[in-house]
Amino acid sequence: MSSLPIVNIAPISASGEAAGSAEEFSLVQMLLREQQDLSAVERFAREGATSAAPAAEKYYRALMPAAAPGPGQQYGFEVDLDRCSGCKACVTACHGLNGLDEGETWRDVGLLVGGTRSAPVMQHVTTACHHCVSPACMIACPVNAYEKDPQTGIVKHLDDQCFGCQYCTMACPYDVPKYHAGKGIVRKCDMCSTRLAADEAPACVQACPHQAISIQLVDVQQTVEDAEATNFLPAAPDPQITYPTTTYRTRRVFPRNMLPVDYFQVGPQHPHWPLVVMLVLTQLSVGAFAVGLVLEGAVTGSPAAPMRQLHGLTALVFGLVALAASTFHLGRPQYAYRAILGLRHSWMSREILAFGVFAGLACVYAAALVLLPPGASPMPTWLGGAVVAVGAVGVFGSVMIYATLGREFWSFPRTTLRFLLTAGLLGTATAWLSVVLFALAEPDPDAEQVLASAGRLLCPALILLASAKLLWEASLLRHLLSRSMTQLKRSAMLMTGELSNYTLARFATGLAGGVFVPAILLAKVQSAEGPLDSFGVAVLTAVLFAACLAGEILERYLFFAAVAAPRMPGGIR
Amino acid sequence: MREPDNITRVPSAFGVARSGPLTRELRLMPGAFGLGRLPEKAQPDATTRTVCGYCSTGCSLDVHLKGNAAIGLSPTVDYPVNLGMACPKGWEALSVLTAPDRATTPLLRAESGRMAPIGWEQAAETFAARMKGIQREHGAEALAFLSTGQMATEEMALLGALAKFGMGMRHGDGNTRQCMATAVVAYQEAFGFDAPPYTYEDFELSDVLVFVGSNVCIAHPIMWERVMRNPHPPQIVVVDPRATETAMAATQHLSVRPKSDLSLLYGVARLLLDRGWIRPEYIAEYTSGFDAFREFLNAFPLERVEAETGIAAAEIERLARTIYRGRRVSFWWTMGVNQSHQGVRTAQAIINLALMTGNIGRPGTGANSITGQCNAMGSRLFSNTTNLLGGRAFENEAHRREVADILDIDEGRIPRDKGWSYDRIMEGILAGKIRGLWVICTNPAHSWINQSQARDILERLEFLVVQDMYATTETAQMADLVLPAAGWGEKEGTFINSERRIGLHKKVAPAPGVALSDFAIFRLLAESWGCGEMFRKWQSPEAVFQLLSRLSAGRPCDFGGIEDYQMLDRSGGIQWPYRDATRDAGSQRRLFGDGRYYHADGKARFVFEETRAIPESPNTRYPFLLLTGRGSASQWHTQTRTAKSAVLQKLYPRDPYVEISPVDAAELGIERGQWVRVSSQRGSMQAKAVVLPTVQPKQVFVPMHYAPTNLLTDAVFDPYSRQPAYKACAVNLEVAD
Repeated sequence: MSSLPIVNIAPISASGEAAGSAEEFSLVQMLLREQQDLSAVERFAREGATSAAPAAEKYYRALMPAAAPGPGQQYGFEVDLDRCSGCKACVTACHGLNGLDEGETWRDVGLLVGGTRSAPVMQHVTTACHHCVSPACMIACPVNAYEKDPQTGIVKHLDDQCFGCQYCTMACPYDVPKYHAGKGIVRKCDMCSTRLAADEAPACVQACPHQAISIQLVDVQQTVEDAEATNFLPAAPDPQITYPTTTYRTRRVFPRNMLPVDYFQVGPQHPHWPLVVMLVLTQLSVGAFAVGLVLEGAVTGSPAAPMRQLHGLTALVFGLVALAASTFHLGRPQYAYRAILGLRHSWMSREILAFGVFAGLACVYAAALVLLPPGASPMPTWLGGAVVAVGAVGVFGSVMIYATLGREFWSFPRTTLRFLLTAGLLGTATAWLSVVLFALAEPDPDAEQVLASAGRLLCPALILLASAKLLWEASLLRHLLSRSMTQLKRSAMLMTGELSNYTLARFATGLAGGVFVPAILLAKVQSAEGPLDSFGVAVLTAVLFAACLAGEILERYLFFAAVAAPRMPGGIR
Repeated sequence: MREPDNITRVPSAFGVARSGPLTRELRLMPGAFGLGRLPEKAQPDATTRTVCGYCSTGCSLDVHLKGNAAIGLSPTVDYPVNLGMACPKGWEALSVLTAPDRATTPLLRAESGRMAPIGWEQAAETFAARMKGIQREHGAEALAFLSTGQMATEEMALLGALAKFGMGMRHGDGNTRQCMATAVVAYQEAFGFDAPPYTYEDFELSDVLVFVGSNVCIAHPIMWERVMRNPHPPQIVVVDPRATETAMAATQHLSVRPKSDLSLLYGVARLLLDRGWIRPEYIAEYTSGFDAFREFLNAFPLERVEAETGIAAAEIERLARTIYRGRRVSFWWTMGVNQSHQGVRTAQAIINLALMTGNIGRPGTGANSITGQCNAMGSRLFSNTTNLLGGRAFENEAHRREVADILDIDEGRIPRDKGWSYDRIMEGILAGKIRGLWVICTNPAHSWINQSQARDILERLEFLVVQDMYATTETAQMADLVLPAAGWGEKEGTFINSERRIGLHKKVAPAPGVALSDFAIFRLLAESWGCGEMFRKWQSPEAVFQLLSRLSAGRPCDFGGIEDYQMLDRSGGIQWPYRDATRDAGSQRRLFGDGRYYHADGKARFVFEETRAIPESPNTRYPFLLLTGRGSASQWHTQTRTAKSAVLQKLYPRDPYVEISPVDAAELGIERGQWVRVSSQRGSMQAKAVVLPTVQPKQVFVPMHYAPTNLLTDAVFDPYSRQPAYKACAVNLEVAD
């Protein structure tokens, strides 16, 4: 075979330089050098840097409003569905022209299908932020990182103000604000407001090959009135929640069975682990303080004061762990101090403030219990009441955070019942834990007495609370029988389908910690003639507490993961 | 969530950060170069036009440059093809270049079976030594190459010339066999040359558009842009078993039984004839063979057509009337026609309708094949596989001499026959006749029909060389030698689009590692083979462009008037023929305005044949008919590129899916979203059930982009074009365990 003029040359490194003798002529080296040289493009005429006016303007001019919004008006997207063919160029253009990060998209295209075999209908739907009249994201935001421009109505996210709590991602019924984990903030569509201000079209409007997307002036009052008729898009979230300003136009009449192609699919939502821990432990702490107050009536005599100290400290530690956990949910925890800026409108701000005060009071209360001589002052009891009251306000804030989002699984009565029962159940379990710890630490007849009397009180309470809570949680599964695809049926499907392992674990731990072990302990306490087997009680109590806590954590995991979140029509998944 | 009071709240200035690093990152700044506002980090210091490297639409993209390297792109506004628009693939064309699985160095399979990196010298030596060894031992027949419609014309020409004239390979074909072969043969027989007659402006000028087997909305979104800009407003007729996006936009959708389109087209021809809705003067003056066609059509009474197509007589009549009433009727077809066991005759049945109604050669008319790949048209003219360079015939001595003269090579080095088509190359491997295969820029281990057999065949090769951008394609993973290629955007050359427009693409990004352009790889291999002398004039793509220009002289595709790349760049692409500025003026030119076709008698021919049944009809074991095709506008073929963009990934379903009629889903107890097993006699795949009323009962649709799809398909070919019939085979459907 013929020989190359390039033999005996060491492998080429990535930079194109030969590792060996560079003197020798090498075709490979020449080709590699040519390959890395990008100057060839210079020989072509360059587009003039002087042409500042956007060249595409001639195509998008007709898609822009002639004037700025007047009083009572704002900008809104309008989508001509008869022209949306589902190519999804809008999604990629928005990504490209706005410099979004890898994989980040602010537009989505879903698919509606319906009709009959002889007249099937398929309709792609492009959607982005609806720049709502009453933006749920903005109302929810605890740090005022959203602004609704008073003139254009554009709902703008202030990236540097955001601290990444992601509450807006839950609050928006249209799944618009997207959390950017790398930056620790949320980002979203701002209708390319700086382009609009300069009479340039938003990226999606520029890029739609079929001119399906335009910017129109929207009458705000009209939007509110239209929302009453709930005629937004088939199976889209109720427009009354936020008054979206996007208009979907079509000359066709959609068939009555028109639904998103992913309508019947259910998928778990983000579990938000730090929130799971935070919610469960704040409720535990508040409940523990409350049960502690109740218990004071039952425990008298010399053990009362050290008992209160121990219990107060336990409740406080859990409360502080809860608040620490909550900061792990923030993308930028260094800005946690901004959390109360939204006090006037955000339940999250209110909750954070309440729990902040709760933590402060609880510290003072615990300090008072430890430092003040027993019986020196009535202050701790009074202060204990205040701690519980403020804690209850905090729990109410937690309830409202979710209850105001319009998701049935998170409705006010459901969430209230859930959170209160958790507080009661874990508060009781914690109180029992304190009693047992106390009895272990100071093994004397008084403590024995406390243990027995508290056990007769707390164990039945636990059984009652746990049974009630488990029964009530299980009752959700009745929605599996529902014929229509309700939100609660979706939750029930998730709990028995994709999340069934969590559901099983939740009920197993709940029954063990809330019913079986307390029953055994109760039997022990009631049948005891002499001194109790304190080691056995301690082991059982450890199991009880761990199981109760795990059960509530799993319950809260399901609270987040099994919720049916409203969204715009999705595509084939 | 409502807070009715004070809903347009302006937060207090206290504590609100309206600016800062995160805000600045996305802040849009006024842009130069007519681009409009762009983020600061994306501001270019120059822009340059380049033609997209995915489909045959041939859109132009303005690449945003910083120091000669691409940092972004946007569609070119004043390009006559795309008018400032692009589909998702085009928008994301740059992001797939930086994928981590790019082939960055030559790889050779070691004794252990693992791929080991080697230098280019060793790669080139190994290529030559192994291939020549096979050639010595088993003869010239024992080597073949499989080329592509995805490379520059200059690269294809160099490959074809190198492999056939330089290395003495007898057989070579391209993946264009899978997409355009049918249109080629149909045009050659009807017009005398493979010449799609239209220009994209015709989409806007027609008052009737008939789409047969073409889901333009999804497969060619930017051509659909042109339809949507038709001001007339047109009647749009769609012939397709599925109610596709295009069918949704149609004024008439004929949901024919799969592969009964030929009967429908003959039936419509018969109706036009019977009603006198034809143009006898055009037929007499410019066509031949009509009398025999008239005779033949007697066999297609309406009742027969109704029975075979499942379309009501009234609907067929409505179509005939629409064609008759249209003043500018254009007919368009894509893979639904081409990938058929009787594709050539179906395409010709469409051509016949255009000829008999005089709907050709005038604005807004034509029998128009929409091509698939970005350079399928370049491949048709210059790949030197089926046709000798310049759309010539290997069998024609005069043609061989012309080519030998222009290229200054010994005429004896030009084979006297075209060699084997793709399917025969695969058969040749199976029969042990072909032992060395060189695969360039295509992925047969995913795309070839009847995949388990195809893979079995590829495994039999003594030596498989794969030249590709990615080392991870299904075929590259089977290779003995992988040659890392630079991709679109990392090299330059020309593509020819569906409307015969020659467009330029440029080098705007560095290739990773030591990847080389296919052109450079061919030059290197020519030297290592020892035939470098023959290609001294083929030093650069642009030098080859000049050679091709000379090869086109006097041919229907003559583009001798194009001076150089700069002229192409300035003009916004140039359609062939382009002999000079006076004879071929204008940027929207169509063929046959003078009624002169390329046959010796100057006339177009009516070509027709009795229809044939589907080779594999549904039966009791496999009661469903499988249709395949493009799934979304964000997916390209075997997904070697489009799967590498994080944004595109979000725009199509990750898992393979099968579209099923609600009727069948109910009967089989298949839930939406459930995993089902689709199986044929040849293999089976798991796919997620998507229940859609747009699919007819007893039919299912699976997109081709998922590798297992071709485990099901049946290796049946059009007898004339040898194009595989991907779109019809019998399958069974059951809930997966």
